Amino acid sequence: MSSAVVLCPGRGSYTEKSLRSLDPDHDLVRAAERRRADFGLEPLLALDQAERFEPARHLRPAHVSPLIFVKAMIDGTAAAQRHELVAVGGNSLGWYIALALAGVVSFEDGFRIVQRMALLQEEFSEGGQIIYPVTDDDWRPSAEREAAVEDVLASSDGEALDSIDLGGYRVLAGTPKGVSHLLKMLPQVRVGSITYPIRLAQHGPYHTRFAEPTAAAARAEFATLELHAPHTTLIDGRGRRHSPWSVDLDELRDYTFGAQVTTPYDFTASVRVALREFAPEHIVLPGPGNTLGGIVGQVMCADGWRGVRTKDDFLALQKASDPPFVVSMGMGA
Amino acid sequence: MSTNRVEVVERNLDEYLQSAAAPARSLAPSEPLRPGGGLTARKAVEVFEDQVLSRALDVAARELKREGEGFYTISSAGHEQNAVLGAQLRTTDPCFLHYRSGAFMAARMRQLDGASPLFDTLLSFCASSDDPVSRGRHKVWGSREAWVPPQTSTIASHVPKAVGTAFSLSRAAKLGIDTGLPDDAISVATFGDASVNHATALAGINSARYAWRRMNPTPVLFVCEDNQRGISVETPRRWIRDFFSRLEHLRYFEATGDVDSVWDTVSLAIQTCRTTRQPTFLRLRCHRLWGHAGSDVESAYMSQEEIEAVEARDPLLANARRLVETGAASPAALRAIVQSTRERVRAAAQEAKSRPKLVSVEEIVEPLAPEDESAWRAAATAAIDPAQRKQVFGDRSPERAKAPTRRTLGARINDALHDEMIRRPNTIAFGEDVGRKGGVYGVTQNLQVHFGRSRCFDTLLDETTILGVAQGAALVGLLPIPEVPYLAYLHNAIDQIRGEACSLRYFSAGQYENPMVVRIAGLAYQKGFGGHFHNDNSVGALREIPGLAIACPSNGADAVRMLRGSLAMAAESGRVVAFLEPIALYHERDLYEAGDGLWLTDYPVPDGAADSALLPGEVHVEHPDASDVLIVSYANGYRLSLRAARALEAKGVRARVLDIRWLNPLPMDAILEHAEACGSVLVADECRATAAGVADSIVSGLVERGFRGRMATARSADVYIPLGGAANIVLLSEEDIARAAEELVR
Repeated sequence: MSSAVVLCPGRGSYTEKSLRSLDPDHDLVRAAERRRADFGLEPLLALDQAERFEPARHLRPAHVSPLIFVKAMIDGTAAAQRHELVAVGGNSLGWYIALALAGVVSFEDGFRIVQRMALLQEEFSEGGQIIYPVTDDDWRPSAEREAAVEDVLASSDGEALDSIDLGGYRVLAGTPKGVSHLLKMLPQVRVGSITYPIRLAQHGPYHTRFAEPTAAAARAEFATLELHAPHTTLIDGRGRRHSPWSVDLDELRDYTFGAQVTTPYDFTASVRVALREFAPEHIVLPGPGNTLGGIVGQVMCADGWRGVRTKDDFLALQKASDPPFVVSMGMGA
Repeated sequence: MSTNRVEVVERNLDEYLQSAAAPARSLAPSEPLRPGGGLTARKAVEVFEDQVLSRALDVAARELKREGEGFYTISSAGHEQNAVLGAQLRTTDPCFLHYRSGAFMAARMRQLDGASPLFDTLLSFCASSDDPVSRGRHKVWGSREAWVPPQTSTIASHVPKAVGTAFSLSRAAKLGIDTGLPDDAISVATFGDASVNHATALAGINSARYAWRRMNPTPVLFVCEDNQRGISVETPRRWIRDFFSRLEHLRYFEATGDVDSVWDTVSLAIQTCRTTRQPTFLRLRCHRLWGHAGSDVESAYMSQEEIEAVEARDPLLANARRLVETGAASPAALRAIVQSTRERVRAAAQEAKSRPKLVSVEEIVEPLAPEDESAWRAAATAAIDPAQRKQVFGDRSPERAKAPTRRTLGARINDALHDEMIRRPNTIAFGEDVGRKGGVYGVTQNLQVHFGRSRCFDTLLDETTILGVAQGAALVGLLPIPEVPYLAYLHNAIDQIRGEACSLRYFSAGQYENPMVVRIAGLAYQKGFGGHFHNDNSVGALREIPGLAIACPSNGADAVRMLRGSLAMAAESGRVVAFLEPIALYHERDLYEAGDGLWLTDYPVPDGAADSALLPGEVHVEHPDASDVLIVSYANGYRLSLRAARALEAKGVRARVLDIRWLNPLPMDAILEHAEACGSVLVADECRATAAGVADSIVSGLVERGFRGRMATARSADVYIPLGGAANIVLLSEEDIARAAEELVR
């Protein structure tokens, strides 16, 4: 069995293409629907099997987060059967999925965390997130774009902050005023066919101090949540490792419902640590979607991993083997 | 006997973990290994993980070497108990580590977000330019984020700067300098039981005790990792304890036994050092596995029984036993740790091998001695606030002092030091007799009066310590101006400049720097007084040091402007500059005749004028219209050359005289320009004939640059300088210069 690090997706991963990605007969889908019913919310299958994708409905945090959780858990569980998982991590929402995938929390508790955090996010919905590229089309670092981000953050009067270090992108978050400032002041740039900055639909100001109310409510809610040592090493959003043998579960809980929510999430560091400290044969990205594929490529590029120094190097590496180095299970979905 | 002791040691651990029975009772993660102890089961396993990582990396180092891909095999095997220190010290405690610190670093880096000690270490074994510490220049333990300035540590020559750092922490705080470290930070130096016998290490420990005795907070933790052997030579039993446990003004601890006992002792030692701020010595019992390095075959000097006895004390094996027996971990868990770590290291080693190497001289040299002439000039010539000058000088500013306003070299250096200490609040000046007495020759007079004892102070009489304090002070944000009273005194301590201060930027790829201007009183011509030790002229010892800039002024005005340039180089680019002051010219007033006062100078006022400072490459030319011969010289030789030029003129030979001012880098462009104009060149070098001075380099430099005119040198004899009138026989003289010049143009 080849070794792999699994990196779980964040909120932006469920899109129109992801419709009908859940197998109604899968045990985890059934289990999820039972927990979903506890919350009195629309069944996930009703959303997933819908005729058409309705952004306002599907991208509502309370809907999209559990959809992603279930799909990623299904893929992640399958990956664990195909590969020897040497570490597990994730981006933002992906952290909760990683906790469940690594067995720190049960599937049911993982679902509950994801569902509750989504509802809390709706409750404390002030503000939002935007995404902005800091590399060029070829994934080379752009000092100009980095400088623009720094300048705009500096001129925001503290209303906008760093939220996620996401490979070739920076996710920034702020109060409503901060988000307006970011959208107005960041120079428009095109990468491929997409123009940035882009406001992330229905995203709150996660991973900043503006999310403190969410974190406080979560701490109260999950104070007695039962945590277990992970089956495999977890890599968190600071690039810290938590091994099955020496994990500090109290610290893990504090982080998950504390700093993880209220300080920037460094997904770049997670990927870098996954590569450098575990040197896996594959990076596996559970679905839905393939939002993290390019981002992992960008981190590899910055690190020179496997000789990858440009976007073309990465694409060539991906073509060179089957399965490729980065296995995207949600490709096209 | 198996020759592959690596396999034997690995097998010992594996066999134990295979055969060990699960503990009768498992400890909860938060339970201590023994009642009242500080080491919990969870933490003990974490430490074990770091120790296993260190061991796996050492095994990989040997495999990489076998494949021709790795270049360093001095290992941490047997020293892994130092992970206990790495886990308990903070990343804001500056640490100066010796080469067996793999487990220490693994545990320390764990405290940082996003750290990758496994891959970083492999990159350093492979001398890859991706190695985040030295960028492929050496296998060193270091980290900017974790406050571990790297050095090679081979001879414990890092001990004095660790002391200097400890000493400077409170001093910097007192001066309002932000060190970026908490008030209770401590400095740490680790070394072996053999290297602690080096004079440098002993000097460092002695100076820490001395500083503490003089009531200076000196929170330095000396950690002697005692494996009881230096390469092939056994350390006498209890050698470390017998010596260091009985010293006054040094707290002594011994960490031996089970990992939990070691943990508690280490904890106590750290706390003692942190809270009492006094020098603390910790003997950490270690064992050396697999020889000194990969190339060292232990069987040449140890019996099989001795080798096996050491292997039986493998700390990994001992810790595994302790963890299992106390119920802190199951054998299965430890097996999984060992196996998964080995696999991770093996996989990452494949990647590390493929990483890029240093490929060009430019790339290799790049961090050594950066040049930024425009920044230097801007900083050196910036005007000093007149109001602040008034506060210090009152109505007696150097340029307005009562008649005569023209003053000597020594007086002008004193004036310039005052101005620079006004300009740069982080400067400190220190050395033997520098404070209260104001220097052996009065060059630092009144600095202590004007700037206080925190900024100008006496040290004990040890140049190694002086330079160690300078390095430590520079590391925490001060700009030190240490004084070495005589050039000959530098030689016992010169490794502090050569091996340490000048190599820091290089080994850290520019991530750390220790800017300083080392004032050294030197050179000869003291009218027969002092003999060799006070007339030393071996500047070659300085000139051969990579990256060291050397200023050597001949007169007061130049000294002022060159000191400004030197400090700007240090402050702006982290450079180490030697400022070599000709003792015999400190109080010289005259050039040609007694009473002519031609060697006195006015003070270059720091008013922002472009010519108020001098940088390397900038020379002085006297008699620029003369072109029969160019005499190139410096310091005393320059003054003698001017006198010789006058004598030559009487004979119809018109000599142009050039003061190179900087002994490194040499101002070859200027020398060539004037050489071409004159057609023949005499280098008048007051240093010894065999390569001690600059003559050889100037002549070969001219040849290499295509100069085809006549050349000659006049130098001092190749001998120690004797006492009394005999000194004049061996030293370059005015007559030697005139004679050589005359022959050249004949």
